[in-house]
Amino acid sequence: MDNSTQVILAVVTLLGSAGIWRYAEARLKVKAEQKKEEQSASDTVLYRDDLKSRVEEMDAALKEANKELLALTEKVAKLETENSFLRREIDILKRN
Amino acid sequence: MEQLKVKAQEIKARLKARFNALRDIWQYSDSQPTEITLAAALVILYPIATFLELGYSPIMQLLAPIAGLYQLYCVSGKCLSCRVKASWVTFSFYLLAAVMYLYCGLLFKGPSYWGWILLSVSSFGSLKRIKKEELHRKNG
Repeated sequence: MDNSTQVILAVVTLLGSAGIWRYAEARLKVKAEQKKEEQSASDTVLYRDDLKSRVEEMDAALKEANKELLALTEKVAKLETENSFLRREIDILKRN
Repeated sequence: MEQLKVKAQEIKARLKARFNALRDIWQYSDSQPTEITLAAALVILYPIATFLELGYSPIMQLLAPIAGLYQLYCVSGKCLSCRVKASWVTFSFYLLAAVMYLYCGLLFKGPSYWGWILLSVSSFGSLKRIKKEELHRKNG
């Protein structure tokens, strides 16, 4: 086989393989797009997305509630201290 | 008679399930081992076989090992887009070998030469699998 034949065959094969691959790639992309659209429209995915947003909301609410609980605990501690002082003063006043 | 029909249907369903499983494995399994094998064959066997059977051809015997090494480099780098390119080059070289053998009248001389067609199909399957993986990762 001479060199020119080899080069011609190589170029033809290269162009052929590029053509085959372009066609196959385009088909794969179309199929992937279709699959993506089907998935995004399915009930399972919608339900999952809804669950995700609910979990996020509940997480935020839990953090807020934790903060409030901490503030309330602080207030209760203060009031308990005040109450014990007041009782002591009442006792002193009663004795007098 | 009815029992035979039911049994035949069962066998048919089983065979269909096995065929679908094989198709899924072919389409979606990890292709790195296949890529490494194809690349190694391109580096070692391809130049020797083509030199002994077709004669000296610089395109096939000098460029193919470089393409094989590039494929190995991409597989080891774990880069998908690089692997796609390298697999396309590998597929092109195997297709070129099949075309060259066909041109020289060797391809249908004996069943052992059909291996070039098998290698072309295998490299094309590998190429498709990697592209699918790439699209899957892009689409999430």
